[in-house]
Amino acid sequence: MTREEALAGIVEVLKTIKMANPKGLKNITEESDFIADLGLPSTELINIVAKAEDQFDLEFDDDDIDDLGSKVKDTVDLILKTAEAN
Amino acid sequence: MRGRQVAVVGMGGVFPSCASLSEFEEKLFTNQSLIREWELATNFGKQLRSSVCGFVTLEEAGLEAVYSRSNPAYPEHYFDLKKRIPLQHTATADIGSIWAMLSSLDAIAMAKWEQDAVQSERTGVTIGSGGGGHEVLRQAWNSFFHNGKKSRSIGGHGVDRAMGYRDAANVSCLIKNKGICEGMGSACATGLGNIGYAYRMIKFGLQDRMLAGGVEGTSIETFVGFDAMSVLSRGYLPAESSRPFDRTRNGFVCSFGGAVVALEELESARARGAEIIAVIDGYFNNSDGDGDMFAPSFEGQQRLWKGLRSEVPTLHPEVVKVHGTSTPVGDGIELFSTIDALGETGYHIAAPKSQFGHMLGAAGSVEFIACLLMLKNQKTTPCLNANWLAETLEPVQEMEDWQGTQKTVSEFRHLLPTAAVATPIHQLVSLNYGFGGTNSGIILSRHGSN
Repeated sequence: MTREEALAGIVEVLKTIKMANPKGLKNITEESDFIADLGLPSTELINIVAKAEDQFDLEFDDDDIDDLGSKVKDTVDLILKTAEAN
Repeated sequence: MRGRQVAVVGMGGVFPSCASLSEFEEKLFTNQSLIREWELATNFGKQLRSSVCGFVTLEEAGLEAVYSRSNPAYPEHYFDLKKRIPLQHTATADIGSIWAMLSSLDAIAMAKWEQDAVQSERTGVTIGSGGGGHEVLRQAWNSFFHNGKKSRSIGGHGVDRAMGYRDAANVSCLIKNKGICEGMGSACATGLGNIGYAYRMIKFGLQDRMLAGGVEGTSIETFVGFDAMSVLSRGYLPAESSRPFDRTRNGFVCSFGGAVVALEELESARARGAEIIAVIDGYFNNSDGDGDMFAPSFEGQQRLWKGLRSEVPTLHPEVVKVHGTSTPVGDGIELFSTIDALGETGYHIAAPKSQFGHMLGAAGSVEFIACLLMLKNQKTTPCLNANWLAETLEPVQEMEDWQGTQKTVSEFRHLLPTAAVATPIHQLVSLNYGFGGTNSGIILSRHGSN
């Protein structure tokens, strides 16, 4: 899986998160921040993670989720790391 | 203790087969039934005994559900198509909590409470529900226990959307009040219990304004629970299925909806020129104390009436809005305890569950609004379908220790109108009971009647 594929998958996930700021959704990059740029409350991050697991048919490690940052690249990294380990 | 007087200054609700309060009002006084065949129940075929229900569709309520991709049965987020509730508040709400928020916004608008008043330390919220967030929890538990998925598969809103006082919590977060926020639970007396509690909070000076009521969000899981007890009506057309006091009644109609009222200390409401919809003259609640979870108690209801009279010694209602569920056991006892307290003439009995079924935790608050509308319209709602009254004694009257009337239900035809009746109403009593042997009653009057 490439970083671009992971990012595209996250964008698909974010389209299902109704609270995401529509303007922020148009210009998502790996530097985008779920909270600062997409206007999401921190409680939504676990929903993004759970939906990303479903999107890529992966299961993330609980410790990795505990340490996860709020930038898109953090989730991209986690997706790639978990996919490689499988 | 006399305490302060309490006014009702606003109301709002989500009612079966209705898009608005005015539609609800119009249907109530034109003797219409709000009960329909429920497709969600008929889809289960012979797994369910009953399939009639009073319900409101998402479309009727101006809502849309977004379902989970990984679990298509799970409505992970409700959308307010009319943009009355911001997304961050619908995200934390099950369907009942959304109804609580919509009802509260309508009640506040009718009360004309300014933002400063709503958001003060003197404004509280107490709203409860009979059910336990089953719609959310069933999907969460299926995902975890049966499908072996991680707990997070259900998302981060399993708790806030299913916790016991979710309705009050969601309303409080929406309106940002700084007074109390609680949810009382007393099964089918929940709606009235919360209003009674709110009344006491204002009466005894702990709050000046309260939003209070009950909701029962649509839940096939709740319906299944009562269907399993064989207590739901079956065998009738939907409009004929709820028939309190009729001798052929065979169970209640499980319904869903919600209502919230705005209460305010009377003098402050008067001072700001608010429209006083009604004044609460008294509230009383008690328990049967007989160790029986389900059976209504004539003696418990006698003590309830005694308590109501202690609140208002001159008690003389023109209307008694009964719990009147349409179950074989309950209606007779309730009729006889009312007669025991008020005599055999001089008032009408209204049984609005005959029109919209039994909304469980919402029943007390929706029926409280029906009472407010009776005061406004000076009409009593009917005991729809109470067509054939028993000419033989009820089973409870043949028990050795029976202390009530020896007359049959048919001898009280004059109390049980099958159509709305125009009549002067200065005072009325609203009654609700619940599993666990809990009894509650509230006395309402027109402002200036006392």
